[in-house]
Amino acid sequence: MTKSAPRAPRFPVLWVVSLIVVTLLAAWPADARAQVWMGADPPRKGSVQISAGVISFGGFDMGVRNAEETRNINTGTGPFALFASHSRIAATPGGQFRVGVYLSPQLSLETSVQYGRPTLSSSLTSDAEQAPSLTASDTIGRYVVDGSLLFHLTRLAFSRSRAVPFLAGGAGYLRELHESNEFVATGHEYHAGGGLNVWFGQGRHRIGLRADVGASIRQGGADFRSGRRTVPAAGASLAYLF
Amino acid sequence: MRRGSVLLLTLVLVGAASGPAAAYLKLGSRVDTRTLTLKWNAMPIRYFVTDRGVAGVSSQQLQDTVARAFATWDAVPTAKTSSQFAGFTAAAPRGGDRATVIGFQNRPELDRTLGATSFIIDTVTGDIVESDIFFNSFFSWSVAAQGDVAGFDLETIALHEIGHLHGLAHSALGETELRAGGRRVIAAESVMFPIAFSAGSIAFRTLRPDDVAGISDLYPESGFSRQTGSVSGKVTKNGSGVIGAHVVAFNPRTGHMVGGFSLSADGAFVIAGLEPGPQVLRVEPLDDADIESFFDLTLGVDVAFQARFYEKLVVVPRGGGTSRIEIKVVPKG
Repeated sequence: MTKSAPRAPRFPVLWVVSLIVVTLLAAWPADARAQVWMGADPPRKGSVQISAGVISFGGFDMGVRNAEETRNINTGTGPFALFASHSRIAATPGGQFRVGVYLSPQLSLETSVQYGRPTLSSSLTSDAEQAPSLTASDTIGRYVVDGSLLFHLTRLAFSRSRAVPFLAGGAGYLRELHESNEFVATGHEYHAGGGLNVWFGQGRHRIGLRADVGASIRQGGADFRSGRRTVPAAGASLAYLF
Repeated sequence: MRRGSVLLLTLVLVGAASGPAAAYLKLGSRVDTRTLTLKWNAMPIRYFVTDRGVAGVSSQQLQDTVARAFATWDAVPTAKTSSQFAGFTAAAPRGGDRATVIGFQNRPELDRTLGATSFIIDTVTGDIVESDIFFNSFFSWSVAAQGDVAGFDLETIALHEIGHLHGLAHSALGETELRAGGRRVIAAESVMFPIAFSAGSIAFRTLRPDDVAGISDLYPESGFSRQTGSVSGKVTKNGSGVIGAHVVAFNPRTGHMVGGFSLSADGAFVIAGLEPGPQVLRVEPLDDADIESFFDLTLGVDVAFQARFYEKLVVVPRGGGTSRIEIKVVPKG
């Protein structure tokens, strides 16, 4: 199922870029008097944020595929279904590690590695010879390496400017290994979402908590279909800024 | 060890009544204590066509049809086979003349046999020295482009018999039902299924994944073994191996099915030529077919168990194999 490099889909790229542009237009301070950032020591250009935590990936359905045989003439219509299979990848928790650098108090670039072990399962039913139905499964090791642009909505900061919402978008590489690690499926993804950084303290070095929610539009990897799919994701991390 | 040749009889494709369903199987022959895999050791396969037609099929149409059937096998990109028409002949398709001859014969005593393939092999190497195919002119035949219910499609039957000629045995990928006078095939997913579809059907002028895997396993093109993978394991019942179980690998991504059999006392099976990735394994008994269509009856084929799925998705690596699979079946209730 390793996919050759497909043409970059235009829609997700445009969507992500549009989201970022709209966000910039909406949130960039119109002038100095409109600045509502109250923190005494916001992240500055060159500040580095690292975070590590948990992430939950949503599952997705891969549809029904019948084991079909060619039917003899005069024995009915349509293919003969030996049995039916309905496959899906289950939602799964995982881990994530992120490193980002601030280009300005509002803008940062980030790269992350995410890992999870979802279950790929095929529900096998309706056997023509009454084989008992069951769900056959395999565990996948999923790695995502991505890059994101984050816009920190400093104007919307609250809790004495310790809580700063952000929007994020980017793209990544997907690598999924089946249980034996002998078969690798690769793909790519585009993602967009948002979250919240909550900082404790205002010094140049500080720790905080980070929450993320978003959606990843993926193509390739362990998927029996050739199209794109949307996978929701949510995470929580412990963050350190310096 | 004495080098010689032996005439092997015959793989038949039966018509309206008889046989089963399963996946690809290579022809083998037991010589002394050895089992030889039958195959050609040189290409192209040179064949003659008899210069006699039958009602509705001229000798030229016979030759054209046989050439198309050979071309279909030769076009498999992962297999290395080729063929060459050597000319018309007045000789009958009988063994012993060191010439591969394909043609019609009137065999009214074989009233359920549409066609058959026989071999002469080298008893040391298993190399096929000669192979002959006859189409039984006891039946009506058609070469109509869209088929004709008045006759069996010659290209379909030629494709099946030429599969044998290359060294493939029968596949069990199909379903049948018992009717008065024999079995009727309901559906199949391999050209090498031993029972023909009804007269007029042209559905099996094209190869299926099971056929492609079989011919590619016998005559692999360079890269075939690197591009595909295999599954091996055993089928057991109450702790003992099951002989003759039909194991099918189903790819839930493509819907392709490729089959194999457990062939030894410990129930061991191997299915090669599989697309890499997850596969569903399903095992069933050979209970809707004549066992002798597949195996020597002395093999002791066990059909007294229930069909079932293997509980895990089996992931086939590219260029490798997955083993240590044990599919435990239970006796029929």
